[in-house]
Amino acid sequence: MKRLLLATALTAILPGAVFATEVTVAAANVAPYLDPGRDHSNVGSQFYFNTFDPLIHKDYTKADMQAQPGLATEWTMVEPTVMELKLREGVVFQNGEAMTADDVVFSLNRMFQATFPPYQVRMRDRLANFDRAEKIDDLTVRVHVKREEPLFETLLNLQQTFIVPEDYIKGLTGDPKVAEDADYEAFSLAPVGTGPYAITEFVPGEKIVYERFDGFWGEKAPLDRATVLHVGEVASRLTALRTGEAQIATNIAPDQLAMIEGDATLKVEGAVTPLFHVMIMNMNHPKLKDARIRQALSLAIDRDLLNEALWLGKAVVPASHTMEEFGPLYMPELKTFEYNPEKAKALLAEAGYDGFEVTFDTQGSYYTNGLLAAQAITEMWAAVGVKASIRDLPKWSGNDPEMMTRNWSNPMYFSDPFGSFGVMWAPNGPSEAEGRFNTDAEYAEIWDRFRFSKDVEVRRTAYAELMDRIAANPPVLPLYRPYEAWAMSQTVTWAPKAGHIPYVLDFRAGSISVAAAN
Amino acid sequence: MTTVPTVTPPWLHSLWSEAHWVQKTALVLGLTLTVAAVLAPAIAPFEPNAQSLIARLRPPLGFESASAGHLLGTDELGRDLLARCLHGLRLTLTLAVLGASLGLLIGGILGVLAGVAGGRTDAVITAAVDTQIAVPFTLVALFMLSVFGTSMVVMVLVLGFAGWEQYARILRGEVKRLMQLPFIEAARAAGASPWRIARVHVLPNVVSPVVVQFTLSLSNIILLESTLSFLGLGVQPPTATLGAMVGVGRDYMPTAPWIVLAPALLILAVTFSVQILGDWLRDRADVRLRVR
Amino acid sequence: MLGNALRILLRMVLTFFVIVTLVFFATRLSGSPLDFVFGEGMSVEDRAIMIRYYQLDRPIWDQYLAFLGAFVDGHFGLSFIERRPVAEMVAERLWPSAQLLISATAATLLVAIPLGIIAAVWRKSWIGSAVMALAFLGYAVPNFVLAVFLVLVFAFWLNWLPVVGNGTPAHFIMPTLTLAAAMIAAIMRFTRNAMLDVLGQDYMRTARAKGLPESAVILKHGLRNAGITILSVVGLQVAALAASGSVVVESIFAWPGIGDLLVNAAIRRDYPVLQFAVLTVALAVILINAAVDLAYAWADPRLRHSSRT
Repeated sequence: MKRLLLATALTAILPGAVFATEVTVAAANVAPYLDPGRDHSNVGSQFYFNTFDPLIHKDYTKADMQAQPGLATEWTMVEPTVMELKLREGVVFQNGEAMTADDVVFSLNRMFQATFPPYQVRMRDRLANFDRAEKIDDLTVRVHVKREEPLFETLLNLQQTFIVPEDYIKGLTGDPKVAEDADYEAFSLAPVGTGPYAITEFVPGEKIVYERFDGFWGEKAPLDRATVLHVGEVASRLTALRTGEAQIATNIAPDQLAMIEGDATLKVEGAVTPLFHVMIMNMNHPKLKDARIRQALSLAIDRDLLNEALWLGKAVVPASHTMEEFGPLYMPELKTFEYNPEKAKALLAEAGYDGFEVTFDTQGSYYTNGLLAAQAITEMWAAVGVKASIRDLPKWSGNDPEMMTRNWSNPMYFSDPFGSFGVMWAPNGPSEAEGRFNTDAEYAEIWDRFRFSKDVEVRRTAYAELMDRIAANPPVLPLYRPYEAWAMSQTVTWAPKAGHIPYVLDFRAGSISVAAAN
Repeated sequence: MTTVPTVTPPWLHSLWSEAHWVQKTALVLGLTLTVAAVLAPAIAPFEPNAQSLIARLRPPLGFESASAGHLLGTDELGRDLLARCLHGLRLTLTLAVLGASLGLLIGGILGVLAGVAGGRTDAVITAAVDTQIAVPFTLVALFMLSVFGTSMVVMVLVLGFAGWEQYARILRGEVKRLMQLPFIEAARAAGASPWRIARVHVLPNVVSPVVVQFTLSLSNIILLESTLSFLGLGVQPPTATLGAMVGVGRDYMPTAPWIVLAPALLILAVTFSVQILGDWLRDRADVRLRVR
Repeated sequence: MLGNALRILLRMVLTFFVIVTLVFFATRLSGSPLDFVFGEGMSVEDRAIMIRYYQLDRPIWDQYLAFLGAFVDGHFGLSFIERRPVAEMVAERLWPSAQLLISATAATLLVAIPLGIIAAVWRKSWIGSAVMALAFLGYAVPNFVLAVFLVLVFAFWLNWLPVVGNGTPAHFIMPTLTLAAAMIAAIMRFTRNAMLDVLGQDYMRTARAKGLPESAVILKHGLRNAGITILSVVGLQVAALAASGSVVVESIFAWPGIGDLLVNAAIRRDYPVLQFAVLTVALAVILINAAVDLAYAWADPRLRHSSRT
């Protein structure tokens, strides 16, 4: 911060103002494109909230969904399947265009009636129940769903339903009256929204520069400028804090925290992330067809030991596929998964396990501690007599029929079990579509009650039934909710907020402040 | 260019008495490492892959909070570092020797062939060498690993493939040079077959540059293997090689430096002794220097 | 001379074409980008949509022809992931990579050649051995270990040098040092050996017999003759570094170079980026080699009128 001898010139990018408040973030990954509609990666989710708004905001300090006005100021259900929303007046996009009902309708329908293939993928996995949006007048829109939607507000808070400027997008390439695929692609390199920061420079994979947008409709941004730089190596990220080249460093694994413990000018803010690292098992692999084998693999994993050893006890080991963020559907009383090596051995014997090799796929250290957990898990399997080996692949293998087990994550895309378990394990959802998970009519029926009932109790009961099904014939074991830490300078006051989806860098008013650098 | 270089195997005792302390050190070190690698399974105090998650990242004996019995400490999964170093050394040396030999085999045959045969054969081989040089090696490795999987055999193939073009290039040049020398021209005039010329007249004369390249390859392959591990493309965990230990352990350099230091020092020791011995051999083999 | 240059040019074009073709087919054999780009949880239907969208459903010969066509019309396509022209992506990274390559090469030559001569001249004394041993230190440690070590010492503890990017001259010090460390040993070693070869030659004895001072003999006659060998080794090393040497350094110092781009594109099977980046690197290497060949032919009078050995 003060001692860097040779590189003070670097910080000369300060604009003229002496008291300009700036922050530089050294990020493990920077998104290769920025489009809130098509992106659902853990990398991209860091960057959208500063620049875009949804129609319905929420209280981001609270884990569960407590709706607050966003670009819509009020909303009512005018029919069981139609919501009418009044739009906020005087909202402008960062390029100066005023936001109108047309922009809202365009933004929503580009997702609900997607023609751009990447949008179609997102449309199917979480927005399938939406039919269309229509303009009533300049400040009123209606959103139609196919069936009654208990999660209406939640889904209109989604990153994928953030509002984008119609004319700007259409005018990017080709015919300015038509939204072509190339327009969306151009948009993802030069994104514009209504949020408190405009993205003034974007080098895919390398750099994002946010600057305060003075035309923002709400409380103005606390920073003049925030720069996100890609610094892949963890030692370099932490060092950048010491040299003053960055004030915040992302993705610091618990093991690395010791590096900056002794430095009084630095601190750590961490939180348990609303996401599960999971171990998945291929139901349709010839050797794993017997549910008892999969149950045994699940029972043999001492998740508490993994937490103690690899996360220094900072992660959270769930008893079921549930987390506090689910609000009324948070069900800690469910005991779906447990550690019981004796039972595992018994089940293996019962199923006639003959010593065949079980492979565990991992994509290197794509997940924090992923490679370590993989090795620890295979040792735990060895302890109950299962021969296991690791396949370290540079790619996703969940759709490979040869895949036996592997690591994965089930993030919470929105505050409801549908936003986590639901997106991944729905009938005909991604897991089933990839051929490693099967559902039947009964599962679909339970699912339907869980997904669409307006009665919370009915949904809870149905979710418990789903968990019983998962326990009886397991395709997945949630290992833990990882603890993610951000290291930062003492001059920065920032912490992850409980109400966000994983990894969001929220620099809005009330979320960050920077003391004058010394 | 009129003297005819020949190679006579130098006597060991005269070698030793002529050696500088650096060379003596290298020799002793090299022998020690080789013995340690051969005996690894017998002398390693623990199973290299046996974990103890409650005793992770313990420093070497003598430091605070060291774990009894773990001389060099434990790694990120509580495995004994000494055991992993010994097994890693063993596997690393095996990979390096196999890889370098494979490179020599492929590159040697092609290089000599190009040099002796000339003409179209030479053109094709030279084009292949040029192509290999211009394609980033990480790409070749990635391709082979993704198509053939990541087994030990593939790893050897990848590493062997990494240096063949160097051998080919060196040997081709050397053979071409030799082919113009009077004694070989004489042999050719006498009707000796290209194969016989290569075997009797050329091969003994290219030992010197090949030895140098071989020693370079050994070290290169060890370093390459560590780079592949850095990129996440090395041997499959939990298998220990020196490169993989360094590649995975680098994140712990600030907090648990012994995890990286121990294998890095071993890599250093191997490379050091191989290089010094290689140079020494080369100097000994070069007749012109001994004459002077 | 002209015939020689023509031959070299022809060889370059041929090599280039072979690489283009190999890379095209090899990448397609090695897996679908969908598994790497989108990964998780795509349904069969979604995959089909994306395959069509990326035009990967076209017959491979069509794709190949379209790709060759790019050499005519200059449209090398869009990245599968970033969706921007690959030429733009590669261009962005070319200069930072070149800068690093140049500074590392310059540092290497400045250190390696004098040390190599010292090691040759004093090869029988401890000085020669010690110089060689010292150089090996830089070579024998994996370069990422050296890089992280430098970062910890000079940036983390001493706070003298910056670690992120290529913004100022100070940013060049550690990456240059890391890259040069590996090259110095090799060049030095070849310099030493080439000098040793030369030192034993008749004309050196003649020069000495003429009563020239030893330093003049070594520098004038020795270095000039050894220079030819050294030149070709430097060419090889620089070419190797240009091809793939710096990905590790780029990653540690957050250097926006082409090695990083290449490896990521390869891992994610971003074919268009991969193809174009490989072509660029291959072209650079071929040009470097050709330059060395020409210099070689120019420096070695025996080769000037015969074919290259």
